[in-house]
Amino acid sequence: MDGKRHILITGSSSGIGRETAIRLSGSYPLILHGRDATRLDEALRGCQHPERHVLWKYDLRDVDQIEDSLKRVLEENSIGVEGFVHCAGTLKILPLRTMERLDVQETMNVNFNSAVEIIRLLVRKKVNRKHLCGIVIISSIASLKGARGFNVYCASKGALDAFMRALAVELAPEVRVNSVLPGAIRTGMTNNMLNDPELSKRLETAYPLGMGQPGDIAFAVEFLLSERARWITGQQLVVDGGRTINVTA
Amino acid sequence: MSEAFNAFKLDGRRVLVTGAASGIGLATSALLSRLGGRLVAVDSNEEGLRTALASFEGEGHEGRCWDLRKVEQIPSWLLETAATGGPLFGLVHAAGLSCIQPVRLLEPSCYRDVLLVNTEAALALARGFQQKKVVDPAGGSIVFVTSVMSLVGSAGAAAYGMTKGAVVGLAKSLSVELAPRAIRVNCVAPGFVKTPMFDRLSARWEADQRAQVEAAHPLGLGEPEDVANAIAFLLADTGRWMTGSVMVVDGGYTAL
Repeated sequence: MDGKRHILITGSSSGIGRETAIRLSGSYPLILHGRDATRLDEALRGCQHPERHVLWKYDLRDVDQIEDSLKRVLEENSIGVEGFVHCAGTLKILPLRTMERLDVQETMNVNFNSAVEIIRLLVRKKVNRKHLCGIVIISSIASLKGARGFNVYCASKGALDAFMRALAVELAPEVRVNSVLPGAIRTGMTNNMLNDPELSKRLETAYPLGMGQPGDIAFAVEFLLSERARWITGQQLVVDGGRTINVTA
Repeated sequence: MSEAFNAFKLDGRRVLVTGAASGIGLATSALLSRLGGRLVAVDSNEEGLRTALASFEGEGHEGRCWDLRKVEQIPSWLLETAATGGPLFGLVHAAGLSCIQPVRLLEPSCYRDVLLVNTEAALALARGFQQKKVVDPAGGSIVFVTSVMSLVGSAGAAAYGMTKGAVVGLAKSLSVELAPRAIRVNCVAPGFVKTPMFDRLSARWEADQRAQVEAAHPLGLGEPEDVANAIAFLLADTGRWMTGSVMVVDGGYTAL
């Protein structure tokens, strides 16, 4: 390890992850994670200084091999990780009665268990020395509010926030840990939902500032990772255009 | 982090900051001036205000010596400020009084001014700010400085917590009401920060009480600049999709 410290971004080939990668690429060397090689390459091409970033192609549904796979990426490139941004996420809107056990597992694996596996690895001295200093988790306002068919998705985001808070206490003062709770943002993950014109209209009125863009979330991630946020840890930052406080819709 | 943060820039936009002569208000004003904002620095301490103004970067700042307890006059003061210097983009209410007393000593006379400055002035400032002749037609951004005492409790903080908790409630409904006019309203809730207010408070503590308070913050006590950075983030376009939010800046105090 030559001490070159990277920011690892999961789910960086689309949506919030991709926008975050593009935004951070001017300031930090990155490890871009995604499961599709073609889309990962596209994301890399959108970044500044593409030559200094590293790609990690992996399907986070398979949590058992995360440790080996990520360890190999760090070793082969002789790099460490100073910041971790967990953007990978999957959303299946299904009433509980039609949900299979496999659906539950998949959502929990991609959204929550993968983050535990990755952080478990990054805090080990042998693997990452003591390079890690910042973690930002992309949670969701689904961590605070209920919605029909969001059952396990809500649970996975709530788990992330509780984990975040506990880690903030456990890893202080060396590592700061925070989460960002976005409201509805138009991304690949939410496209299906937002293509329904009636639902889309309802959402527009529920959001006092209208629907959000991935870039709105990237600003918050960048801020929380930076020195400007050096006294912020263990917090959920709601970035939702006013959705969670609005009861008039 | 350098030019990547250009959404942080204020590009000559006018921002009114209360409590600008000391503590969090001073650190915030200084930071906003470095980000290119033009300050209307408000404080009741005339001399402190002069010193503060001299320390700001850039041009076009002005000071106003207001007594925020005169809440009835605040909207007209803002009208006059806009009439003479142009519309306002931002409002930061950082002025605040402390009131740490056991409940048996909480006579109305002991918290009257605290409620006026911390809470009623926040509402009056927002009322003044949202006037068509005051706020920038393109929209505006309000940040109230509240406290972790609006979210958690501590013996002796009943009156202080009441005044700060009310501001959080104020911000939530204001943010919904003003969103159609592109005015965002957010709060920053600091933990214990090394300000003159904190120094006066902690002067009455035993050594072990101070150690206890420090230990309750996993990242230690904060600096005014730490809070200023969060205020600037919410105020500027970096917070463009945030309204009605409370950003807790407390070194992990409420996570523990």
